[in-house]
Amino acid sequence: MRIRTAGVIAASMLCLAGVAACGDSKDNDTKGGSAPSAAAASGELVIWADDKRSAALKPFAEKFGKENGVTVKVQAISKDQQTTFLTASQQGSGPDVMVGAHDWIGNLVQNGAIDPVQLTDAQKSGLQPGALKAVTFNSQTYGVPYATENIGLIRNTDLAPTAPATMEDLVAQGKKLVSEKKASEILCLQAGPTGDAYHAYPLYASAGGYLFGTTASGDYDPKDLGVGKPGSVAAFEKLRSLGEKGDGALKRSITPDNSVATFTGKKCAFLVSGPWATADAKKAGIKYDITAVPPFKGAKEATPFLGVQTFYVASKGKNKALAQEFVTNYVTTPELATALYQVDPRPPALTSVLDSVKSNDPDVAKWAEAGKNAIPLPAIPEMAAIWEPFGKAEAAVIGGADAKSTVDAAAKTISAAINK
Amino acid sequence: MTTQLEGPATRALPAPEVEEARSTSLLGQVVKIVLLGLVVATAIWGAFPLVENEYWAGLALLLATTAGLLYLYLTPRHIPAKYLVPGTLFLVVFQIFPVLYTASTAFTNFGDGHRGSKAEAITAIQTASVTRVPGSTEYQLKILTRGDVATGPLAFLITDPKTGQVSIGDGAGLKPADAVPPAGYTVLNAGQASARSKEITDFAVPTSTGAIRSSGLSRAYEGKAVRAYDFASDSIRDTTDGKVWKADDAIGSFVAADGDRLAQGWKVGVGFSNFTRVLTDDTIASSFLGTLVWDFLFAIGSTGGTFLLGMFCAIALQSTRMRFRGLYRILMVLPYAMPSFAMLLVWRDMFNTDFGLINNVLGIHVDWLGTPITAQLAVLLVQLWLGYPYMFLVTTGALQAIPAELTDATKVDGAGPFQAFRAIKLPLLLVALTPLLISSFAFNFNNFNAIYLTTEGGPFPADNPNAGATDLLITYTYRLAFGGSGAQYGFAAAISIFIFLIVAVVSGVSFRRTRAQEEVYS
Amino acid sequence: MIKWFRDTGWRHLVAVLAVAFSLGPILFVFSAAINPLGTLSSSTLVPSGASLDNFGRLFTDTNFPQWFVNSVAIAGLASIISIFLSALAAFAFSRRRFRGRRSGLLFLLLIQMFPQFLAVVALFLIFSKITDLWPGIGFNTWWGMILLYLGGALGVNTWLMKGFFDTVPKELDESATVDGASHTGIFFRILLPLVSPIIAVAGLLAFIGTINEFLLANLFLRDGASKTLAVGLYGLVQGSDRNTNFGIFCAGTLLTAIPTVGVFMYLQRYIVEGLSAGAVKG
Repeated sequence: MRIRTAGVIAASMLCLAGVAACGDSKDNDTKGGSAPSAAAASGELVIWADDKRSAALKPFAEKFGKENGVTVKVQAISKDQQTTFLTASQQGSGPDVMVGAHDWIGNLVQNGAIDPVQLTDAQKSGLQPGALKAVTFNSQTYGVPYATENIGLIRNTDLAPTAPATMEDLVAQGKKLVSEKKASEILCLQAGPTGDAYHAYPLYASAGGYLFGTTASGDYDPKDLGVGKPGSVAAFEKLRSLGEKGDGALKRSITPDNSVATFTGKKCAFLVSGPWATADAKKAGIKYDITAVPPFKGAKEATPFLGVQTFYVASKGKNKALAQEFVTNYVTTPELATALYQVDPRPPALTSVLDSVKSNDPDVAKWAEAGKNAIPLPAIPEMAAIWEPFGKAEAAVIGGADAKSTVDAAAKTISAAINK
Repeated sequence: MTTQLEGPATRALPAPEVEEARSTSLLGQVVKIVLLGLVVATAIWGAFPLVENEYWAGLALLLATTAGLLYLYLTPRHIPAKYLVPGTLFLVVFQIFPVLYTASTAFTNFGDGHRGSKAEAITAIQTASVTRVPGSTEYQLKILTRGDVATGPLAFLITDPKTGQVSIGDGAGLKPADAVPPAGYTVLNAGQASARSKEITDFAVPTSTGAIRSSGLSRAYEGKAVRAYDFASDSIRDTTDGKVWKADDAIGSFVAADGDRLAQGWKVGVGFSNFTRVLTDDTIASSFLGTLVWDFLFAIGSTGGTFLLGMFCAIALQSTRMRFRGLYRILMVLPYAMPSFAMLLVWRDMFNTDFGLINNVLGIHVDWLGTPITAQLAVLLVQLWLGYPYMFLVTTGALQAIPAELTDATKVDGAGPFQAFRAIKLPLLLVALTPLLISSFAFNFNNFNAIYLTTEGGPFPADNPNAGATDLLITYTYRLAFGGSGAQYGFAAAISIFIFLIVAVVSGVSFRRTRAQEEVYS
Repeated sequence: MIKWFRDTGWRHLVAVLAVAFSLGPILFVFSAAINPLGTLSSSTLVPSGASLDNFGRLFTDTNFPQWFVNSVAIAGLASIISIFLSALAAFAFSRRRFRGRRSGLLFLLLIQMFPQFLAVVALFLIFSKITDLWPGIGFNTWWGMILLYLGGALGVNTWLMKGFFDTVPKELDESATVDGASHTGIFFRILLPLVSPIIAVAGLLAFIGTINEFLLANLFLRDGASKTLAVGLYGLVQGSDRNTNFGIFCAGTLLTAIPTVGVFMYLQRYIVEGLSAGAVKG
């Protein structure tokens, strides 16, 4: 046994070292063979996206590569895409093109990580106005949008045949279903133990709350924080009355993990979610309809956030000219937008593509309709300070905490983070 | 005890074995030569790119390391170093350097908006301010060169799509082109052009109203940088409204007279201000102590709980008469074999009030993650589940290594199993495992995933979203540093240094106590 | 009967209870894996249907086999080398008395405690340079990943093994030295065989630790073909795909345990047999 142990160790060391040595000499050969600088930089475009989109992009990236005689690598970053992109870019190992949500723009710009893109007037007018506005920051266009997303109300039409006109109507319908034992939950709106500001926002907005005011030019103004203002307290009051100590329509036990599953399991008739949830509903064989999130009675509209999936040109990419070519002249073509839509059915940002898919896919039209009044998710860096405190405050009032003191505590934390 | 072992110890090395040892030392020499040869080969391989890129400092370091290794293994002296150096090399590069680098950022404002150098910030500001000249033409573009495609001087061949007018542009400006491609020029294809990507993006053809720049490889536009850096006054000036932002090297930002800051800043040293901020920040002051106490409870509870349960199971499975031991062992160890991040998420769902497995199976309605005490119990239970197989394995290994003669001897003495265990095995186990328990404590003290993937630190009191009932110092730090307005690495590093000092003191003190044990048993 | 219980029976009882505790959450994963709708909604251990759909999709829709190979290769190589390195160091710490020994040990412990999420920036710095100079051991490569993991080789495992080396009486080495054995002889021929159970345990722990590591692997392995199981699986349940892919994810999680169980079964005979016949018969 002794000899065996020693032998195994020695053999493995040898094989390790051997592999390393062989690998190396090969590398040296290729390096020596071609001009070093040209070989290093020659026509390679690196694109980063999340897992799903990178899979969708791959065939198109390869096509682009073939047409232009360059290599295109699509790489998937699974976690913390934005931070990873920033850190990697700063150290010079980032991609040339980054795919991500438009609300990163403020932070990416302050870190000098992305360049503005120059779209032609024709390209701009081909985009949905909301999508174009979302990627405009400090009056520059910082990326090319390709799809939009917003949340809405997905309704099980077997359980609830008519769309509720108001939140109060929805709660009444839901309560009736629960008392008839047709459902176990009134509403599936994900909150979880630490809340979910994104999904709560339509209700918050309807009840009179806002996050940031706008400047004269229409940009978000970080100096005018809406959390802590009387409107926000009233809104949290509303959330509290819907919560566990009130109607029981909002619950912390409904989390991002189970909200869709509870809906597809026919345990609740109403789901507040986005286009990503419909695939599951289809698979589960649920008959559903999509409408806008209903407002509170006599209150403002329940506007959801508009999120825009965007292609960015990385400032510190090794191949910026090619990245610009890809982003401004290739991503803007209808073919790519259609293909990305087929992989992930969210409303395309190109108006022409949206119109053409609408006719085949009624869901897309409904999502677009539900997001008609959506407001772009604020892209200013200060937005990062909102999410956590807002979510926790939401969770606290759903659990029955006093609205005023909870909102005040959240407002204090947020403004401390903004004015750090 | 040692006297008991002396007999067998000498018996263990009968004469033939020694002979074998001598004969293999020749093999040892061969292995040594081969390994050192590989070191040299690796060094040579590593040297080529260093020479090619003219990293002389790196090359010197490589040579020194290689020479040091050769010296170390060829001299008969420095025996401990021979055993320590291989692991230490990796430790220095991949752990010590990162930690020192991180610690050094505690004295800077490194974070979002202040990641790079001043030069990078200036470039970013100027690039971000390039706007298309209103009403200017959108040109079609071809990249030209005279001479070699890889090195020849560049020129732009631009076509006005409305008039069909074709012009050549270079550093001197635009001039009409005689033909496509113009005589003496070659058009670069995409591959050739992208090899010169940087030159092309930096290339600008001056015009009376701005400059023509490329937008990709097939289009060009006439743009103008609205903001420019003035070296003499060290400031950024906006040419449209004349506003000036002066560089403030103390905070790493360009600041205007009215207090307005440009978003793009740079990294500067800020002395001890991150440390004083930790000490004076009132949200930290109010919640630090409670978090620290819970962090200790969590680390002790996780380590102690897993150790006790793991040891108990190991003892239970020690009997050689027992059947199915192998099967039991595998099944028990499974939690450790599963990816822990996945299982943490599964546990979180199992604790759900309305849909969770635990409440459903037990037929109760406890808001596990909603109240402080239950949430703390819940995370400890999860830790127990995740960690006890580890302790089980380690204790099993340790028990196997305790010579059977010892136990047999106590049996002869007529001691009961429990007494025998306490008197003989437990002390030996503790010698073997105390260092491990200390390091397990240290690991759990900073066990980010265990909290972040289950409770995220919650439940949070309604009036304070900063510190939750299950927050460890590390999750708390993470939130302070990254939860607010973007990442603040400098600040986070400063807090980490404080935490580090606390843990270091605690571990250091408990480590001192192991000295006594070590001397007794070794 | 009572005697049986006191001798062996209670052992079975403990084992069965422990196994039940261990398996509970895993059954939950299992039921999600064979549930065709594969979502987290199932709050019971009994799936609403049984199919191998999720396993099939794992192989058709993802790079699972490639991830598997990468994981086993990286975790296997990294744990073998790292065990060897830490055994060497543990030998020095346990058997040799030299200046800075105890502070060295303490230092090894403390260095582990620095928060990883901060060190990532520095690791990027190092690896960006390495990738520029030696792409063969940079981002997206097995060797890059292995090198990175070897940075932690001297951490916990050195402590673990040092503790066990300490329990082996020093008289063994002394008598061997008298008989003419060199320090390498003592290390390879006397100590290593004596502590083989713990080498096996440490090897298993290192393997499990590496194969499940995903924070660093996620940053350093971005090419689809270079990813490990942990990274690839994590990517399946990101963001809005959480629900849709949960079944596949669970299927993958279960399959991920297979190499670990394999390594465990292989090493178990060292753990169990080890020295059970008597410590010093070697």
